[in-house]
Amino acid sequence: MLREFGEYLRTRPFALAGVIGVVAITLIAIFAPWVAPHDPLAQDLMASFKPPAWQADGTWKYPLGTDLLGRDILSRLIYGARYSLLISVGSVLLGTAIGFITGLLAGYFGRWTDTILMRLGDIQLAFPFVLFAIAILAVSQERTWWQLVLVLGGSSWIIYARVVRSRVLTEREKDYALAARALGASRWRVLFRYILPNVWQPIPLIGMLNLGFFVIVESLLSFLGLGLTPPTPSWGTILADGRQVMMVSGWVAVFPGVAILLTVLSISLAADGLADFFDPKLTHGNFRRVPLPPAERADQDPADGAPLLRVRDLTTIFPTRKGTIRALNGVSFDLEKGSVLGVVGESGSGKSTLGLSIIQLLDAPGRVAGGEIRFDGKDLARLSNRELTAIRGKRIGMIFQDPSSSLNPVLTVGYQLKETLRRHRSLPPHQAHEAARQALSAVGIADPDRVLRAYPFQLSGGMNQRVMIALAMVSEPELLILDEPTSALDVTTQAQLLDELDGLRQRHKMSMIFITHDIALISSFADDILVMYAGHVCEIGPRDQVIDQPRHPYTRALLDAVERVAVTETSRLAAIPGDPPDLTRLPPGCPFANRCPQVMPICHQVKPRRVAVGPNHEAACHLIDSPPSAPSQYGTTAVEAGRAAPASSVVANDNRSSRGNSSLVETAEDARGTNSISSTDRGRGESNEG
Amino acid sequence: MPLLEVKNLTKHFPIRRGILGREVGVVRAVDGVSFTLEEGETLGLVGESGCGKTTLVRSLLFLEPPTTGEVRFRGEPVTVADAQRFRRHVQIVFQDPYQSLPPRMTIGEIVADPLKIHKVGDQKTIETRVRQLLAEVGLDPARSGDYPFQFSGGQRQRVGIARALAIEPSLVLLDESVSALDVSVQAQVLNLLKDIQERRRLSYIFISHDLSVVRYMSDRIAVMYLGRIVEHGPAEDVVEKPLHPYTRALLSAVPSLRRRTATRARLRGEPPSPANPPSGCAFHTRCPLARPECAERRPELIEWLPGRQAACHFALEGTAENRRD
Amino acid sequence: MSSYILQRTIQMVIVIFGVVTVTFFAIRLVPGDPARLMERPGTSEEVIKQTRQRLGTDKPLSVQYVNFLKDLVRGDLGTSFRGNRPVREAVLEALPNTFALGAVTMVITTVLSFVIGIGAALRPNSLLDRIALVFVAIAQATPSYWLGVVLVLIFSIRLGWLPAIDLEGPASFVLPTITLTISLMPLLIRAVRQGFIEALGEGFVRAGRARGLSERRLLFVHVMKVAAIPLITLVGLEAGYVLGGAVVIESIFNWPGIGLMALLAIQQRDFPVVQGTVLAIAVVFTLVNFLVDLTYAALDPRVKY
Repeated sequence: MLREFGEYLRTRPFALAGVIGVVAITLIAIFAPWVAPHDPLAQDLMASFKPPAWQADGTWKYPLGTDLLGRDILSRLIYGARYSLLISVGSVLLGTAIGFITGLLAGYFGRWTDTILMRLGDIQLAFPFVLFAIAILAVSQERTWWQLVLVLGGSSWIIYARVVRSRVLTEREKDYALAARALGASRWRVLFRYILPNVWQPIPLIGMLNLGFFVIVESLLSFLGLGLTPPTPSWGTILADGRQVMMVSGWVAVFPGVAILLTVLSISLAADGLADFFDPKLTHGNFRRVPLPPAERADQDPADGAPLLRVRDLTTIFPTRKGTIRALNGVSFDLEKGSVLGVVGESGSGKSTLGLSIIQLLDAPGRVAGGEIRFDGKDLARLSNRELTAIRGKRIGMIFQDPSSSLNPVLTVGYQLKETLRRHRSLPPHQAHEAARQALSAVGIADPDRVLRAYPFQLSGGMNQRVMIALAMVSEPELLILDEPTSALDVTTQAQLLDELDGLRQRHKMSMIFITHDIALISSFADDILVMYAGHVCEIGPRDQVIDQPRHPYTRALLDAVERVAVTETSRLAAIPGDPPDLTRLPPGCPFANRCPQVMPICHQVKPRRVAVGPNHEAACHLIDSPPSAPSQYGTTAVEAGRAAPASSVVANDNRSSRGNSSLVETAEDARGTNSISSTDRGRGESNEG
Repeated sequence: MPLLEVKNLTKHFPIRRGILGREVGVVRAVDGVSFTLEEGETLGLVGESGCGKTTLVRSLLFLEPPTTGEVRFRGEPVTVADAQRFRRHVQIVFQDPYQSLPPRMTIGEIVADPLKIHKVGDQKTIETRVRQLLAEVGLDPARSGDYPFQFSGGQRQRVGIARALAIEPSLVLLDESVSALDVSVQAQVLNLLKDIQERRRLSYIFISHDLSVVRYMSDRIAVMYLGRIVEHGPAEDVVEKPLHPYTRALLSAVPSLRRRTATRARLRGEPPSPANPPSGCAFHTRCPLARPECAERRPELIEWLPGRQAACHFALEGTAENRRD
Repeated sequence: MSSYILQRTIQMVIVIFGVVTVTFFAIRLVPGDPARLMERPGTSEEVIKQTRQRLGTDKPLSVQYVNFLKDLVRGDLGTSFRGNRPVREAVLEALPNTFALGAVTMVITTVLSFVIGIGAALRPNSLLDRIALVFVAIAQATPSYWLGVVLVLIFSIRLGWLPAIDLEGPASFVLPTITLTISLMPLLIRAVRQGFIEALGEGFVRAGRARGLSERRLLFVHVMKVAAIPLITLVGLEAGYVLGGAVVIESIFNWPGIGLMALLAIQQRDFPVVQGTVLAIAVVFTLVNFLVDLTYAALDPRVKY
């Protein structure tokens, strides 16, 4: 752990500086008597108001000069660090302790405990903290460090309490907490064994930030004459003294400020570093598309006779800290005008990435690394951003899985629809309204006026998805990409929506790419089906061929799983053992080899080529390719496309060789926010041999 | 004697408004549900979101005590007070494999905890039991020190099953337990559940929105709509010859490899809110067979054919029509 | 809506009552006799006793508290222990000064923070973003009172460009406003940056791009509305803080506002003035928060009353 943190710090100069600063200040504070050149209280009246050593009258005996009583400012600053840290750390500990316990109890037990504690917090928040501290401290004759700790710590508990409370409220509703209760765990056991380990994480970070704040507040109190009783040295007191003599010697006021600034800066840099280390956020930031450089071979297809969309050798990657995710590995297919291509795959197969790659909306850090996406003759991956804006939304539309997050939550449906109408057709306002109503009616919404006025959260998922379809249809695109458009909906709603889509498709002669995990869903809808696995095309062909005569073992397994074909003698379902491979460490051979019931030694070593198995029907499997058969009509082979295969490590016939370490690997799907985290496994339950 | 008897179970959530939290209405999440379950039997519970499946499960576990109604376990009535004892016999496996395991406990600790809670044996016996349980659900016992995030969705669901089995319950509630998994992994888990059931003579209540999975798993199926059971009968019959128009609509909406779109019977509109259910038969607003009296009189769940119940005034007419197809 | 306002008003009254009560007892329970503080050291006990009677601090606490509440209900905040001035008059005179400084500060702080924060969010890890983050880190670590002192040292004493203290025309706003703005900006810049980065990553932005909306429209209409709504709370908190009197800054620059008045009163143990100022501060603070919640509810359709 420590070692990992050290490694991490090397790449983060700011965090490193912060950690060094914090350690240095702590050491100085602890070893003050050995570090300081003078006793901080020793007076030298002969040397009153000495300037810092580098100034004309300065002396190295007092490197930073002296104050009115001739006390060494450097030594006073060093001792000041002691008290400053003691009080700040003590206050944070006290505040954390009180806040943590109250937050835990208020969140878990709720009801009146919660109400009382939170109202108390409101009162405290409505009261300027500094005044509170001042009022209490103003009158004490002797102020000791623990009095300050009581005042500062006692005033900060509410911050921690609120954070802990809200986290407890979330955690206690999660299934694992319910499961613990269902197991018969007592309330205290649920709280301490299950919930507690998941709520404390933000506290050290808030504590660190609070610590910095307290260093400032402590000095402020001393500055106002309400800190530790003089002559105890404190940064604030030195500053206050300095202010008195500002006209004579401005330096005295500057040093303590710099000391405070450096201390607090170190603390917050270290805190930020810690936060990033423990909770690395994927802040790749705003969407930014960089087109691919023009292809070397400029063989432009003649536009006529070519399909609407021609994808060749498409490769998409997501570089991450844990390795490069190879989400798409040489995908090729054609889509004719007016036809529907169903793309089927499980989580992590790259099916969503395929859709986003085509419309060029991959989220950072994902990018198309190679291949061509020819839409109407133009290579989308190589168009400039400006050229692409003229196509995206106008000629190619896309609909996403979660309709409620695809609509702006704080704008009405009507606003969003009219805005899109204005973008694609120039309409005067009153016509825009009528056009919006019609657009909604066209997707089967019975009461368009109500829906126009509504916000997305007021509508059901099915209704929102209809709105999304209406939005996409505004520009009557030639190609519509649908990424699991019905998966978040109930079956009856899904069926209604599919009917609408079917109607639209027939009325508008639109091409569609329908992406789904459910091969049954698409079987009634698509003209062609493309089966994906681990970013590879396993099989592609006309619907009837793929469904009735699947040639790839994965397609067969998928169909069996969906049909729930029972293995007769045991009345058990036909299952595919194991899990999909880790996309950062794809095996050199066939990606499905480890789960394939018909695996051969060659499958682990050589990536199968895609070969024709019927008219427009192709599959990539060694079972078909031995003996060698007709090459792919798509002018590319998987061997050429298989850039993903690591050159090294020829693997013997050991089908557990791809057991990686079991680190969490986010699939390409996750990088753009759907909730499918998959991980590789070391020791599978089933053995997949033979 | 049946293992579990549920009589007229209801769970109502009050809707509160205003300063004083006046009760202005109730959501009838579960509204008078009755069924029985025999030892070793599986009851499938089907319905769409908002039909009350999840609330029913939580009420059965007394996580949210039922508002009214009776739950009998092996003939003994279960009350809130002895829910703890009841929980030794009833366990649950949740839907979301990512949320249902505590993220900061090792899978060994997760499976051991129920044994510790119910004080089953000393440290050593517990360790042995945990290894056995992990092996039983097809996980490598050597991985008991790993954390949930190191496993795939299917494997996590196996951990959830091992945890549920630890204290040897006689009934396991499977709440959409395979819905979040990929189809290729679903089958593995379903097979495992069947194996375990045979080995241990467990009873299951299998909750899902997916009729084809429910059919494979269940002996009997109950279909829920808006907090009530609308049809109930042997799995084969319910799927092949449904009595209730809602069941028929559900069945025809399930995508199939062998059927083209055009033949599907469609439902109109969207499910009504359980806070404000329609008068009479709750389904009449969407029912293709609805007649005026459906809006006035609520159909009771009655036996139309031997062993087959439906809550529809015209249950048999629907089937006749069905046969004509 | 009206029931929500009623509910919130009752809540506010309770909170303010709590604040006033806590203050009342806090200043009286800590040792320190205002009568003794008012007289010179060495004054005879007899005189001090008379002073106590005059101030009313000789009565039992409960009696003092009841009298205080009675007066409060009538709108009477009492008379200052020093100078016999009605507290209400003094408070009403100080508040506009505080408001003026607070309003100028909040406008500048909000505008600058949004410009810098959005700029940084649009291009994370760019030069602008890095500069903004360095500024945020340093500004957050700078004690505002020290910054005030240093600014005075440089611009008033060394350079003589600006008045150091007191309210003397527009020029006197410069240093206190800069000081306050620098101390308020870091938190807001961070929040704006984070909020916009998050909103830019939302599904509706991608869906907007997918249907061809322009980047400008997405940023200034879609993202702006979603990201800015939660930021209202933070702006409100900061506004409550400066409008309620930035105690220390007012004292550094000798700004005749409510914060300075409260500070002096505490040091002099002038109980009525302490109570009056604290009441004023609490009222301003809770009112600002109330307005924030109302604005929030008006802008965000998802919030129900």
